[in-house]
Amino acid sequence: MKWKHKDLLGINLLSKAEIEYLLERGDYFREFLNYSPKKMKYGEGYCLVNFFLEPSTRTRVSFETAGRLLGMEVVNFTTEISSFQKGESLEDTAKTLSRMKFDVLVVRHHQSGVAEYLAQLLPLHVVNAGDGMREHPTQALLDLLTLQRKFGYFPGLKIAIVGDVLHSRVARSLTLGLKKLGAEVFLSGPPTLLPPVMEHLGAKIIFPVEEAVKGVDVIYLLRIQKERQEAGYFPSIREYAHFFGLKEKWLNKKNGGPFIMHPGPLNRGVEIGYSLTEESFSLIEEQVTCGVAIRMAVLETLLQGEKQ
Amino acid sequence: MKKILIKKGTVVFPQRGVLQDADILVEDGLVARVGKGIEDTQACPVNASNLLVGPGFINLHVHLREPGRETEENLWTGSRAAARGGFTSVVSMPNTHPPIDNPLLVRYLLLRAKEIGLINIFPAGAITVGLEGKEMAEYGLLKEAGVIALSDDGRGVQDARLLYLAFQYAQYFNLPFILHEEDEGLSRGGEVSEGKVAALLGKRAIPRVAEESLMARDLVLAFRTGARVHFTHLSTALQVELLRWFQKKMPVSADVTPHHLLLTEEDVLQWGSEAKVKPPLRSLEDQKALKEGVKEGVISILASDHAPHPLEDKSLSFSEAPFGISNLEIAVPLYAKALIEEGIINWVELWEKLSYNPALFLGLNNKGILEEGKDADITIVDPGTRKKVKVSDFESRGKNCPFENWSLLGWPAYTIVGGRMVMAEGSIVEDEFC
Repeated sequence: MKWKHKDLLGINLLSKAEIEYLLERGDYFREFLNYSPKKMKYGEGYCLVNFFLEPSTRTRVSFETAGRLLGMEVVNFTTEISSFQKGESLEDTAKTLSRMKFDVLVVRHHQSGVAEYLAQLLPLHVVNAGDGMREHPTQALLDLLTLQRKFGYFPGLKIAIVGDVLHSRVARSLTLGLKKLGAEVFLSGPPTLLPPVMEHLGAKIIFPVEEAVKGVDVIYLLRIQKERQEAGYFPSIREYAHFFGLKEKWLNKKNGGPFIMHPGPLNRGVEIGYSLTEESFSLIEEQVTCGVAIRMAVLETLLQGEKQ
Repeated sequence: MKKILIKKGTVVFPQRGVLQDADILVEDGLVARVGKGIEDTQACPVNASNLLVGPGFINLHVHLREPGRETEENLWTGSRAAARGGFTSVVSMPNTHPPIDNPLLVRYLLLRAKEIGLINIFPAGAITVGLEGKEMAEYGLLKEAGVIALSDDGRGVQDARLLYLAFQYAQYFNLPFILHEEDEGLSRGGEVSEGKVAALLGKRAIPRVAEESLMARDLVLAFRTGARVHFTHLSTALQVELLRWFQKKMPVSADVTPHHLLLTEEDVLQWGSEAKVKPPLRSLEDQKALKEGVKEGVISILASDHAPHPLEDKSLSFSEAPFGISNLEIAVPLYAKALIEEGIINWVELWEKLSYNPALFLGLNNKGILEEGKDADITIVDPGTRKKVKVSDFESRGKNCPFENWSLLGWPAYTIVGGRMVMAEGSIVEDEFC
């Protein structure tokens, strides 16, 4: 496929065929990851900078690993020891990085729209690793890859996303991706964190959670942040865990479903119990491996243009 | 439990708006039969000729003061007062010490209520932790423990964002709100209504706007969120107007106390601290508007705000005395005086507002209706015998009541709760009824 985008900013901007292409390449890299040694030469001579202005472990390490496995040089920008601390603006910092002639800039920022802004500002390839409450396209793609490898199809697949949908870029990107591929998406959680306008994403809001998860193939649990309780969206962690955390009774072990997914990091004992993740119906660990694979696919695809 | 056969009564069917002569057989806690000429020799007979028989009264605004304020009232004295007052169910307000803001306290109240076993006590849970207006209480856990509604009664929720989120969050658990409206910035230090009496006595006033502005805000919040809200103890004409306007747009209800229908600010001159209530007694114009609201059905529920205090408290100086009137035992005849004697509504309509409508609001599907298979919560009223109020006879610990010696009609004669006779001919049934 001839790739026409300079950047990867959001699932919203991708066509169904483009998503399918990335999943196909992701699947290839996922197989590739099963065997060592696993160094490739495709990315040799290209440089990637991880420009993360919000805390992240798995996404940053995942991009770094993906870049290195492709043979790229990878530099991590950290805010603690940067001139960002000295008050340099986002624009100036990003321009400086660009002038160092990186080929790919992976950005995470707490404001929605920053990835798009940098993509317009800079000539290099920008990959959105999460912008505010808007999009987190590689998370959605890795989730889609996990689902495709498990189920092999999307039309008719039923997924319930449970939790803080309002503040979740993961929920936004994943819902958009699933809808483009023909899956059915149900959203549930505390009404304060799931206003009716979220149906604009194309998903159906269902209360209570017990109803939303009935008969689904996958329950996708969102991470709940302690700050949301402090900001008054729900009264207490124990109440959240009791009503919105995964329940044994939502699982139908006889029929082997539904499967459980979570973008991580887990709040053990809150949205998910202590024992449930390691069981056979959990796809959480597979999501992490698919994360490296899909980021390899994204980087490979963006570098295609460079090579031509 | 023995069967009860209520003979020759005039039965009130508030949901259909009719009165019919009929007998009622009560068995195993339920209404077994409703019809003419029922005979059952094994049942305890009750002669209800010249009496009105209807679904039990439900008072959705009662302070039982337990735990922590037992010198004022407790579940036992409050239950006895309710049974004498013809109330088969009450909603108990959460402004106790500590407030009912966690599931443990709810379970405690329900256990105590079951031990006493006289009437149904439905606890309301706090809207905010400690009634402090800062954080949402755990509505899900409260509901699971048994709360029927949410209220910070005694205080208004000042923070609009908090209530906005609470209105959204509580819908997940189908919990309605009973709102006490009071902008504390506007009411601070006030003791009586703004108006003539405040001016004469040189008292700090609670302006109407203290209630009206918060009610207007909360009507909008409810409209935007879809929350089910009920405004308790209306006191001003504008509140009735606001409600009338919003009722065209959404389901929303309100209640009025007997004292706001019978007394005005001028009664403070005569009764002093006995007439010190929140919201304060207002003008005759306000009272007329409240009555008009009841007549139109804009005010669809009657709830008495039974607020007992020991006599010692009420004999304090006006400024030191607490707000509140003890009225659980006389609320029905007081309403009869304010509304029926004045020809504003009839007994069927009164019954609707004291039984059917509150049951509907609280989601009590087996109450508020007298039909075969429904709960045998039944109140029997004597509409024709006049009796004087004697506050010293109250079962309630609260003797703070300005209605001493008032001559009233429409006293409850029998109260049956869950098929058991708990009050007969004005007295609590201490053992078996027959």
